[in-house]
Amino acid sequence: MTFPTLLADTNADFWFPIQGSSFAEEVDWVYDLILYISLAFFVPMMAFMVWCLFKYIKARGTKAESQISHHTTLELTWSIGPSVLLVWMFVQGSISFLDMRTPPEGSYDIGVQAFKWGWTMDYGNGTFHPELHIVKDEPTKLSMRSTDVIHSLFVPAFRAKKDIVPGRYNYMWFKPTVASEKISDEALAKLKKQNEGTTWDYDKVHTIQTEDGERELQVTPEGYTFFDLYCTEYCGKNHSEMQTVVVVHETQAELEAWIKANSSRGPIPMEEWGELLYARRGCSGCHSVDGSKLVGPSFLDLYGSQHALTTGENQLVDENYVRESIIAPKAKVVAGYQPVMPSYKGQLSDDDIDSIIAYLKSISSNAPTQPAGAEAESEEESAE
Amino acid sequence: MSNATLPAGARDPGYPTERENYLTNSSGILSWMFTLDHKRIGLMYLIGVMSAFAVGGLLALAIRLHLLDPNGWMFSGAEANNIYNQVFTLHGAIMVFLFIIPSIPAALGNFLVPVMLGAKDVGFPRLNLSSFYLWVFGALFFVTALFSSGLDTGWTFYTPYSTTTDTSVILATLGAFILGFSSIFTGLNFIVTINTMRPPGMTWFKMPLFLWATYATSIIQVLATPVLGITLLLLIAERTMHIGIFDPEFNGDPVTYQHFFWFYSHPAVYIMILPAFGIISELISVHSHKHIFGYRFIAYSSIAIALLGFLVWGHHMFTAGMSSLTTIVFSALTFTVSVPSAIKVFNWLATMYKGSISLTTPMCYAISFIFLFTIGGLTGLFLGTLATDLHLHDTYFVVAHFHYVMVGGTLIAFLGGVFHWWPKMVGKLYNETHGRIAALLVFLGFNGTFLPQFVLGSRGMPRRYATYDPEFAFLHQLSTFGALLLGVGLLYAFVVLMVSLVKGRRAPANPWGGVTLEWQCTSPPPYYNFERPPVVGDPYDFHNLEWDAENERYVTTEPERKLVPESTPEEVPVHAGGQK
Ligand code: HEC
Ligand SMILES: [Cu+2]
Repeated sequence: MTFPTLLADTNADFWFPIQGSSFAEEVDWVYDLILYISLAFFVPMMAFMVWCLFKYIKARGTKAESQISHHTTLELTWSIGPSVLLVWMFVQGSISFLDMRTPPEGSYDIGVQAFKWGWTMDYGNGTFHPELHIVKDEPTKLSMRSTDVIHSLFVPAFRAKKDIVPGRYNYMWFKPTVASEKISDEALAKLKKQNEGTTWDYDKVHTIQTEDGERELQVTPEGYTFFDLYCTEYCGKNHSEMQTVVVVHETQAELEAWIKANSSRGPIPMEEWGELLYARRGCSGCHSVDGSKLVGPSFLDLYGSQHALTTGENQLVDENYVRESIIAPKAKVVAGYQPVMPSYKGQLSDDDIDSIIAYLKSISSNAPTQPAGAEAESEEESAE
Repeated sequence: MSNATLPAGARDPGYPTERENYLTNSSGILSWMFTLDHKRIGLMYLIGVMSAFAVGGLLALAIRLHLLDPNGWMFSGAEANNIYNQVFTLHGAIMVFLFIIPSIPAALGNFLVPVMLGAKDVGFPRLNLSSFYLWVFGALFFVTALFSSGLDTGWTFYTPYSTTTDTSVILATLGAFILGFSSIFTGLNFIVTINTMRPPGMTWFKMPLFLWATYATSIIQVLATPVLGITLLLLIAERTMHIGIFDPEFNGDPVTYQHFFWFYSHPAVYIMILPAFGIISELISVHSHKHIFGYRFIAYSSIAIALLGFLVWGHHMFTAGMSSLTTIVFSALTFTVSVPSAIKVFNWLATMYKGSISLTTPMCYAISFIFLFTIGGLTGLFLGTLATDLHLHDTYFVVAHFHYVMVGGTLIAFLGGVFHWWPKMVGKLYNETHGRIAALLVFLGFNGTFLPQFVLGSRGMPRRYATYDPEFAFLHQLSTFGALLLGVGLLYAFVVLMVSLVKGRRAPANPWGGVTLEWQCTSPPPYYNFERPPVVGDPYDFHNLEWDAENERYVTTEPERKLVPESTPEEVPVHAGGQK
């Protein structure tokens, strides 16, 4: 537990995390500029003060050597003189700021949806994922929106931050300059095995055998190293858990392959895909699977049960109702809850919703034991 | 009073009789509750704000202890994050609204303004008492909010979070609303008092700098606080009636709320720091026994800060998505406020040069103020500069910066002020050695707490996080240990003061060698302060003070200033037929 390793982000210096974007160098430069100017004032001033203390602490009753009350030229000098430096800081800061404001033409566009308490990145064509995957040296623009309260997207390694205000789109952009590494498949398989049965802990530091020897790394479930992405506008209970990661791919082709792999269910069973969606698409922020009541009702034993709506009617939770709850959550609101669930209309494919339904069934003791049709297949698949 | 070395004609007001002493001239709880004496009201405020500070401080310790471990140490269970959020919200709200804003103006200002003016009381004594009760009342609202469903919005009440959370936002905002009135009344009272009740000889530029600072503060209080009131009322209206101004769900705009809020709250930062500047100007000059350097620059810079302070609120919103032009203009304006603050620091340093410094407890705080406030001010430059602010905004860097200003600045100045005027207020001297040790502990503890937070922030640690990534653990732990030391230091300082009440030596009228008027009445002052308005000269002219070693006090050798002609005028003026 020494100082440097606990501060570890690869090749970071004392003040900053690694420089991961084209802004980082500029921002750090301006920071250092201000830092050294400040020190150039602070150190002599404090030295002068301490010197005065040594020199002029006198026995009580001693008269002061001088009773000078002002010196206009001196005062004007130190009032106006330093302003030149302030102007310098201001100009440098503003120039870099304008750079950071204006995304270049043809930037790669990714949609970001922030919600309490998670992120959904929209890669187009119905591909959504909580992690932000981008390409090295490719200017990337984020079009960000929020459905509940204000959030703010911050990637320390990129020195970039922007609030996400509900009711409007906010944009930001950056150009990553350092690619993530991917650990070997064997190493990843080993890690997967070690962590079986638990949710993936991104913050956990693993000791991993790589080509350059043993290294301490934090990795995604797919084996990439990453940069942290934080929410920096206070947004309620789990604000501090509203984090995700940025993975920077070496080439556009790699990113596309990754998108493809994450775009639809593929060969995995529906239930499992449903469970993944539950974790990835933010349902887990509001719905528990252990029976406890969060912002929304728990999914445990939900499917097949009956409960009252705010209108007073009784509602059976069946496939149609679940589908409606996801597409138009405000149409029927469960008694005892606020209508705060965002609509997922157009963001979850039919197959996704079916998968969620399959997952809900699998964790409900009220679900019919003899599933019919399409679900029967997936039941079988997962039974294997 | 025979002292061979003292020149003849040395004067000292001596000690008050029990009948005159404002603390003892009447007794019983009612004589305090209904008192109109500004000194008693000031003392009650002092007790009030110190209690609020104790509560806010304990909450701060809870925050720091929770952050000892990345996953949270202090609170556990499913509600841990919720509890943490409530704790930091209440810490902020209590410290800002109940402690820092009223601390110097209401507690020390109330005691000092009339005495420094040689007046018998403030302009409107009843209004003064009512602002104290408004403070109490506002505080009660906060306490009720605390014991009903808590508050988890942060002290800034940002919408739409504050319009959707189900904690007691309305109770708390009403509390802040009422406290706002308390603040407005105090400000109004001081403006009137300083404008109309200055004694003969005290022109604007013969006023002690503490009064200049108080005057500037009062202007902000009167002009800015109503905006807070309006904002909070609109917030309540949005919450209850959905009027559609702040909440996007009803076509409102949350950023509008931020503009409203910071239009008050940025000037409020100067409500917090200007009085501190005033105190430091007094402390540095008196304990260096040297004329304050650059009186006019210091006085004007207070007013400049008060006015410029109204133009920079946008710098709290650089990342919110204002237009580039607006953002750049606000950045430029922000730099202009840094100039007057810098001027003051230079002037204080110049005052110490060639002085005759006594390293008393108040002076220790004044020195520590200069050190800490300079760091606070300089780190503000990183946040006013746009490029770096985008990185540092809403991280621990900001937390560290404003604590250096508000704690390292205001709290330290407040402590310095309390130690400086304590003998005047209660008539007792405290133990200097212990006072200095406490000041040192506070200084070390404070830096231990907040220096690591600058590094945390620039490394990317977001603020208001109940849990955090393990790479930040070491710096967080350092900060927590610093906070514990700071807590010990503050407790120590408090004990020093309390012990002085019981065991302290009786304080002379002028223990430090100050020239301003409060040192010319007894310690503690008589309930009427001065029999008739004294005639005054330069408040920083130390030529006519002598140290009386035998009685450990300073005495004036200046012949008493008198109004001429001295004789009482005839009842009927001459031109109306009176006798010559
Ligand atoms: C912001 C919190 C939030 C998120 C995120 C959220 N929900 Fe909900 N959900 C609620 C609330 C609150 C209710 C109950 C009120 C209502 O019916 O609208 C609810 C109700 C439901 C219901 C009906 C439950 C019942 O008891 O009848 C289903 C099904 C549902 N959500 C599914 C989902 C799925 C699937 C996701 C993720 C894709 C999701 N929710 C994401 C808050 C949320
Ligand atoms: Cu958030």
